[in-house]
Amino acid sequence: MTLLSVQDLAVQAGALSLVDGVSLDVAPGEVVALVGESGSGKSLTALSIMGLLAEGLTVTGGRVDYDGTDLTALPEDRLRALRGADLAMIFQEPVSSLNPLVPVGRQVAESLVVHDRASEAEAAEAAIEMLRRVGIPEPARRATQLPTELSGGMCQRVMIAAALISRPRLLIADEPTTALDVTIQAQILTLMADLAADAGTAVLLITHDMGVVAELAGRVCVMYGGRVVEQGPVDPLFAAPRHPYTRMLLRTIPRLDEPTKGELFAIRGNVPSPKNWPEGCRFRTRCDRASDACTARPALIKGDHRVACFHPVEDPE
Amino acid sequence: METAAPRSIRLSALLTWWPAWLLLALTAAAILAPWIAPLDPDRQNLLARLKAPGFEARGATYWLGSDELGRDILSRLIYGARVSLSVAVLSVLLSGLVGVAVGMAAGYLRGWTETILMRLVDIFLSIPAILLAIITVAVLGPGFVNVILVLALTRWPRYARVAYGQTLAIADRPFVTLARAMGASPLRVLALHILPNIIGPLLVVATLEFGLMVLFEAGLSFLGLGVQPPTASWGSMLSTGRNYVGSAWWIATFPGIALFLLVLSANLIGDRLVDRIGKGR
Ligand SMILES: Nc1ncnc2c1ncn2[C@@H]1O[C@H](COP(=O)(O)OP(=O)(O)OP(=O)(O)O)[C@@H](O)[C@H]1O
Ligand SMILES: [Mg+2]
Repeated sequence: MTLLSVQDLAVQAGALSLVDGVSLDVAPGEVVALVGESGSGKSLTALSIMGLLAEGLTVTGGRVDYDGTDLTALPEDRLRALRGADLAMIFQEPVSSLNPLVPVGRQVAESLVVHDRASEAEAAEAAIEMLRRVGIPEPARRATQLPTELSGGMCQRVMIAAALISRPRLLIADEPTTALDVTIQAQILTLMADLAADAGTAVLLITHDMGVVAELAGRVCVMYGGRVVEQGPVDPLFAAPRHPYTRMLLRTIPRLDEPTKGELFAIRGNVPSPKNWPEGCRFRTRCDRASDACTARPALIKGDHRVACFHPVEDPE
Repeated sequence: METAAPRSIRLSALLTWWPAWLLLALTAAAILAPWIAPLDPDRQNLLARLKAPGFEARGATYWLGSDELGRDILSRLIYGARVSLSVAVLSVLLSGLVGVAVGMAAGYLRGWTETILMRLVDIFLSIPAILLAIITVAVLGPGFVNVILVLALTRWPRYARVAYGQTLAIADRPFVTLARAMGASPLRVLALHILPNIIGPLLVVATLEFGLMVLFEAGLSFLGLGVQPPTASWGSMLSTGRNYVGSAWWIATFPGIALFLLVLSANLIGDRLVDRIGKGR
């Protein structure tokens, strides 16, 4: 049974294709990681699910099935009823993602108030309790403060509290700790995962950090050039990545248990911008296994561990 | 010694904010007009026509002189402040309300709403405001309510412009997307998340517009298109005074000075707000 099933999602800015055939599933309570280099379309995929694409961007194909209904075909008011209540999202920039003029307590309570789940007084109380649960000291006093009076880490905790206060069924977290100090990143992510698990909330976690993926996620979905190139359960996929891109992505993390020989491995070349994506497999211009066959578009092979490649790695070294 | 520094700071604050105090004093005078005006502003006294400031007759002193019908200039000035201020306040409120609603809707909803509304704004802005006001009053007929309606009709696009630009800038900020992700309706997002963040620049516009509205009202009254006689208005006082500049300079001079000070105060306050808030940012 799946909670969220994205199928063949396509997003365009005018005629320019930015996301092209993304498919991924999230089961209830599961943590799925969405990884890929900058510009691969992770945020656009997330915003498409929420129906929050910016002006000028449109979903031009595919479906986003949530609980059996296609969200892309849902009228705005029905979608709005789901947002905040069933589907929650948190962003990368904790400080600018909070309204600078509204006390944080009220921002945490927002989804309860918006969806008439509680009176103002009850919501305020629930917000303080939620602030306490995300580890903010003196929550009653903090609730009355403005975001500018809080640190970045505190603001991210506030956003997590705001997202989880309604016990949503799905939380989309778009690089929730990238803007924070490395020393508190792991702490906040673990907190988020624990609270989500308590509430039975599934998490679609967008991240660059493979260590975080290994730690928190059950399944992982690798994107490149607006497409999913590989997806599957984290452990086997990390142990034996089949797409050449995934293999390179995993090799970019330094490993403590293996001495690195000379400099760190980096992926050859740069990520091409959406205007310059090649025909067929989009990774082929940077791939050392590419052949003539790769000018055609590789399909995502069905199965538990899926890969879209004509020359997948069979036996990783 | 110890109190010297704070006292001088307080004194300089008092001095730098004199436009605000002046505006407050004028407002107080307008509100308290029936109690502080020395004479009935509309009572004519044909024996005391065109008398110079300081003239005394039957126990009444005409501090700023009298007009061609023997009415007290000072009393008419005080009552005239009621017209100037109430027309300016009400037309600023009305045009601000309409303009901000239009501008925010266009900036937030985008699409065809934006196209239609902003095209309308452009059309209105391309018509000279005072001309439009004169024509509409001529059609609707003069009078207090009509003047306010007409001023609002001609001035809302200014607010729409500013509200539109500011809303566009704020609508892209992550906290607005977060509010939407929480399920907030467009109305809630606009009223709770966007409006408070753009109120500063709108206040600046409103203050500058306030001065302009005082002038427009005086202009319409000067042309006989404002509030109708015998109600005292600075514009109509200027208009009659014009016929007597040579013989009775006080009739036009005092309402002129009052207008000048009121508009200057409004503009100075506006400028000060710009320094504080930053315009168009
Ligand atoms: N409004 C837009 N108009 C045109 N192109 C856009 C727009 N928004 C995003 N893009 C492009 O779409 C591509 C995918 O963007 P997206 O933000 O989804 O990447 P991402 O995977 O989230 O990257 P990052 O890791 O940097 O957040 C990028 O090349 C980006 O430049
Ligand atoms: Mg992103």
